[in-house]
Amino acid sequence: MTKSSILSGRDLSKKYGDLEVVKNVSLAIDAGEFVCLVGKSGCGKTTLLSLLSGLEKPTKGRVILNGKEMNGASEDALALFRRENVGFIFQSFNLIPTLSAWENVALPLFPLKMTSEERRKRATELLGKMELGHRTEHLPSALSGGEKQRVAIARALVNNPKIIFADEPTGNLDSSTGEAIMGILNKLHKEEGVAILMVTHEDELSKTANRLIRMKDGEIMS
Amino acid sequence: MNLHYMMKELYYQRRRTLMSILGLSIGIALLIILNSLSAAYRQAAHVPLKEIGADITVQRSGDVPKDLVGAVFPCSAVTIHKEEVEKVQKLPGVRGIGTGLLLWVFDPNRAWIVLGIEKENSIGPSLLRSSVTEGRFLEDGKPEALVEQAYARQFGIRLNDTISVAEKKFPVVGFVDASRAAKIAVANVYLPLKDAEDMATSSKGLQSVSPYSPGDVNLLFIKADQEKITALASEMKGILGNKATVATPDSFLKLLGSLFALSDKFTLAASLIAIIVAVLIAFKTMAGNIAERAREIGVLKAVGWTNRNVVSQLMSESVIQCFLAGILGLLIALVASFSLSFMKVNIPIPWEMSPNPHFLPGGGDQIFKTLRLPVHVPWNLAFFAILLSIVIGGMTGGLLGRHISKIKPSEVLRHD
Repeated sequence: MTKSSILSGRDLSKKYGDLEVVKNVSLAIDAGEFVCLVGKSGCGKTTLLSLLSGLEKPTKGRVILNGKEMNGASEDALALFRRENVGFIFQSFNLIPTLSAWENVALPLFPLKMTSEERRKRATELLGKMELGHRTEHLPSALSGGEKQRVAIARALVNNPKIIFADEPTGNLDSSTGEAIMGILNKLHKEEGVAILMVTHEDELSKTANRLIRMKDGEIMS
Repeated sequence: MNLHYMMKELYYQRRRTLMSILGLSIGIALLIILNSLSAAYRQAAHVPLKEIGADITVQRSGDVPKDLVGAVFPCSAVTIHKEEVEKVQKLPGVRGIGTGLLLWVFDPNRAWIVLGIEKENSIGPSLLRSSVTEGRFLEDGKPEALVEQAYARQFGIRLNDTISVAEKKFPVVGFVDASRAAKIAVANVYLPLKDAEDMATSSKGLQSVSPYSPGDVNLLFIKADQEKITALASEMKGILGNKATVATPDSFLKLLGSLFALSDKFTLAASLIAIIVAVLIAFKTMAGNIAERAREIGVLKAVGWTNRNVVSQLMSESVIQCFLAGILGLLIALVASFSLSFMKVNIPIPWEMSPNPHFLPGGGDQIFKTLRLPVHVPWNLAFFAILLSIVIGGMTGGLLGRHISKIKPSEVLRHD
């Protein structure tokens, strides 16, 4: 891990029974870097992202995120660490259907000691940046796919993360909406200086990234 | 716990919330109704005794009078000696005692049921004071009579008439409506106890069957500590012998024959079943609801909610649902109790406590005390039911929350 690395994984392996999905992978991501993890479906990209983000524990190896060793940390400690350092963007948005757009954005803030007004202010501010200022009170069912993903991006940013993990963020969107979402991610990376690790199987999307990492059969190829 | 999130979840998942609330509310309502019904039967069983100001009545059966001439004791109520009364009075738990002397008087032209009463004792038939419909109640030191209103009407007896009972004259000073009062210890004529004692003492027929001395009685009315009634009843049997008839609220309860009246165990078992059913319904519905939210829980954990945050959120939702179920269950029970309170219940009076000579026409008919079942929901039962609902909610939410909070977000979020 270099001095500027925000995330580092060393000799990471993950086994499910006899099946080794991630094999001895080592990688580091610098602060503010936009890295694309590319590979075919089933090659272990999402598992590697889960290991690096602390959603899952490796069978072997170490993960250091923002200077903190994540191996051996309890589930709650990992959750707290994610709350302070990490943002997530999922392929299927994963918005809570009963909460409005601003409430979904504020979801990571709910366990924090803040007033509802403070949460709302922070969430609407971010929704404004995503050009969704007029949709703050709408439920996810009333939003288009692109709008849902922009709400999800706002949610990923609400805690001022050091790094955002994006798992196929355009996978459920049509190409023009996907391009718009990629535009937002690029802007975030450039203007806010947030590191991004994005998993995709589309080579086309990886062109804007600083670095491309190819995976095949659980191993990093380049 | 986020109140805003909880309210939105309950509101937008109305169908799910309603199903949980309805399921549990039925169990809670059942629990309240069963216990209210059981309490109502108990209360009803107390009424015949309460109406004569007693918790226990005692009498003793004996031999049938040889000749139905003059004053005799009914065979179901023969002499209880003064010394026995004193022993009963001294039993721990006895708070007060009233006495009476019930006689059948067979005069040449008429048969009377006569009850000698203690005028000033608040325990026993002197409570008839409040049932005087015309004239006045008996006064001290005067040989005078109160006549039962229906009997007076039947035989044309008027106020201030003089009636002759066992060859002794008594002015009629008042009429009493015994139908308003208890069905036990009622008579055609009420006399001061002293005059009834004189009648019993001077009756040879009575003395030959059941020796009697002044101060003896044949009816006891006892006020007792509620929790000692059952124990006292058996102690009194010990003093008065096997032929003693000791009536308690429990003995009337048994006569009611209802499942609720038969035993505490039935109510307890039925209540337990209702609680278990309520818990199972709550658990099953909420388990289904929470399982449906596995992905949502995964999202919460991914964005930094700790297991404790997740559990307290789910627990608060569950507690609120169960609390609302408790309120709804209570409302259902209140409506049901109100409807059930219109139900009439007939409490049979045992033949030996009936004052009527059973060998006379109609005398052997079963007598009932009919009253509206006093069903109501006691506040402590209502409070218990609500508290129970909250506990069920806390337990269910806590257990299910702990279980679901262990899921790995990566497992539920990866399968898009």
